[in-house]
Amino acid sequence: MIRKLFHLKYRMLFPIVLVLVLIMGYPLVFSFWVSLHDYRLTAIENVQWIGLKQYAMLFKNASYWTAMRNTIVFVVMAVTLELILGFGLAVLLHRPTTLFRHFFRAILLTPMFITPIAVGLMFRYMLNSQLGIIPNLLRLIGIQIDWFGPQLALFSLALIDVWQWTPFMMLLLLAGLEALPSEPFEAARVDGASSWRIIWHITLPMMRPIIIASVIIRMLDAFRVYEYVYAITRGGPGESTETIQYHIYRVGFLYFRMGEASAMAYTLIVVILFLVVLLFYSLRWEREK
Amino acid sequence: MRRTIFVLTIVLVLVLAGCRPAVPTPTPPPPTKPPTVVETPTPTPAPKAVTLTVIMEQVPDYDIVAELTKKFEAEHPHIKIKFDAMPYDAMRDKILTSFLAPTATYDVIIVDNPWMDEFAKAGFLTPLDDYIAKTEGYDFEDFVGPIREIGVVDGKIYGVPYYNYALGLIVRQDLFDNPEYKAKYQQQYGKPLTIPTTLEDYVQIGKFFRAQGIYGAAMQPQRGYKVFEEWKNWLYAAGGNLLDEKGNVIIDNEAAQKALTLYIEMFRNAAPPNSLNWGFDEAMRSMAAGESATMISYNWMLPTLNKPGGPAGDLAGKFALYEVPGGKAVLGAWHWAIPKNTPHKDAAWTYISWLTSKPIDKQRVIMGGAPTRVSVMTDKEVWEKGYGQQYYETVLKILEDAEPLARGPRAEEIIIEVGTYLNSAVAGEMTVAEALKAAADKVREILARP
Repeated sequence: MIRKLFHLKYRMLFPIVLVLVLIMGYPLVFSFWVSLHDYRLTAIENVQWIGLKQYAMLFKNASYWTAMRNTIVFVVMAVTLELILGFGLAVLLHRPTTLFRHFFRAILLTPMFITPIAVGLMFRYMLNSQLGIIPNLLRLIGIQIDWFGPQLALFSLALIDVWQWTPFMMLLLLAGLEALPSEPFEAARVDGASSWRIIWHITLPMMRPIIIASVIIRMLDAFRVYEYVYAITRGGPGESTETIQYHIYRVGFLYFRMGEASAMAYTLIVVILFLVVLLFYSLRWEREK
Repeated sequence: MRRTIFVLTIVLVLVLAGCRPAVPTPTPPPPTKPPTVVETPTPTPAPKAVTLTVIMEQVPDYDIVAELTKKFEAEHPHIKIKFDAMPYDAMRDKILTSFLAPTATYDVIIVDNPWMDEFAKAGFLTPLDDYIAKTEGYDFEDFVGPIREIGVVDGKIYGVPYYNYALGLIVRQDLFDNPEYKAKYQQQYGKPLTIPTTLEDYVQIGKFFRAQGIYGAAMQPQRGYKVFEEWKNWLYAAGGNLLDEKGNVIIDNEAAQKALTLYIEMFRNAAPPNSLNWGFDEAMRSMAAGESATMISYNWMLPTLNKPGGPAGDLAGKFALYEVPGGKAVLGAWHWAIPKNTPHKDAAWTYISWLTSKPIDKQRVIMGGAPTRVSVMTDKEVWEKGYGQQYYETVLKILEDAEPLARGPRAEEIIIEVGTYLNSAVAGEMTVAEALKAAADKVREILARP
């Protein structure tokens, strides 16, 4: 048995397993250990075992649930808009008749290359009611919008995410479109189907696995939203833009309560793992269909 | 086979070493040898060369300290100073990391007032009583009382004052002196237009200016620190506080409700629209642009606004500083402190005591630094070369009747949590009573923690 385990093909895996254990296993195990203790950075010599108490306390923690709800609302808003816009752009840039399509493909990808904290700072000024170009332009046509007011702030953050990450969605969907066989489309055109009918009855059904994969990849990424919140609203007004990552930062790095912050981070891992499992199952289900 | 077992053993050892939960790093034992004493008057061998790393906030006061430090290095050739200046947000994490490291990254730190009790009680700071006692002519009592007290935790001194950011009422004096406005106000309210000393008057004046086409107050209701910092002045003016003398939480009592109701009334009727997320920089821009008549802000904003060629342009010179309505102000201050884990404590004290000594502190204030010593604020030379007698006398009055934003080892958390509920109330997401009840419950919960 041991000899079989140490077959060359398994031994070849040892270096990467070792690296994974060191760079991922250690922080994971350590943070889980921390989440089971009253671990405060200002009382590091008095760390005490409290078991699952920290997890139980999360159920009563209203700020935690608000942050979780805000994160889910943000993810749903941002990813839905990114999917719609990304798909539209992908279809446009896929058409051989679109002028300068290669040029536009390159230009449209640029927001992705900017670091999210810079995007956050940029929009903080662009949407600022005193200095921002966007409120000023809107004022010229008589529209006054408080982008960071309690009703709109989370949506504004989602729009910023849409600006930055729609190109990523477009890229994935465009790759999917390019990989589709051309015969069904040619047949449909010969039969006289309109462009809308082709998209609705042929493109969308054939793209379904790609769409599911793209949405889940973007969702996983959007769950990590932190920079826009940090740079623009700091979770306000009230707690209306407090996302789970920002909440974890607040508890861990502002209040130095690492045990509680770790417990929250673990619950987030559970949510994200659930999404990953969903991704694999949905893809397998699509393949088997 | 033997080779395989060997490889397996190595892997297992590495894996187990990697998985072992880290034992919290104990704070390093005090150095066995006494630290190098650098300021010995006896003809002992030449003092050992030391480089001190100093963490500071990247603000105009940093430039003044850096400039003065050149003089210190010339006077003390064996001590070199290396600054690590950074934005406020990055400082607390960096200082904490330095405390937890086996050897300090920073030999001299500045501590914001909400962090003082937290750091001192965690055992991160060096008590300075003996150093102060041994330093001839230092005159610790000369620092204004309320600022001096922030550095004292459980009867020991852990920080010496460096910089104050007590809040005052900054107004456009030309608007208050305008005969047309004076007459109109007199006619409308039956009393003269004067600098407000009560909350009711302040709100009324705010609404009056709003009706004249100028916003009554540039406010800073941003969630967390900012709203708490501004509103707490209103709370004092209404006769309230966070805790009573016995330590009971009273932030939901009648005085607090009055303070928050009036604060919201002012925000809705006199402040610039869409300013719910404003902090002090946005409020300052609003004053500098001439769109607002008053603001409650840091006293050092006045020289900034009145500076010729500064942000206020032609309005420079038209701003004046007064005590906040009610008289009692929120006090913020930075203190110099020495981490317990630095091996260069003596050299660090040599630097701190030089920089905060009477003559150097006077120079610093003349160069534009925020004052903390009574003797400096009452010095005629400072009045002449600095921002004028009236400014320093007002600052001294503000400082003498001021109370820190919050105290205790949980001050940071209390400020952020209460500031979140206050912002919710201003945003209209919670009623005044709901927000204050939630804030009080939260503070009780925080204070009950071990």
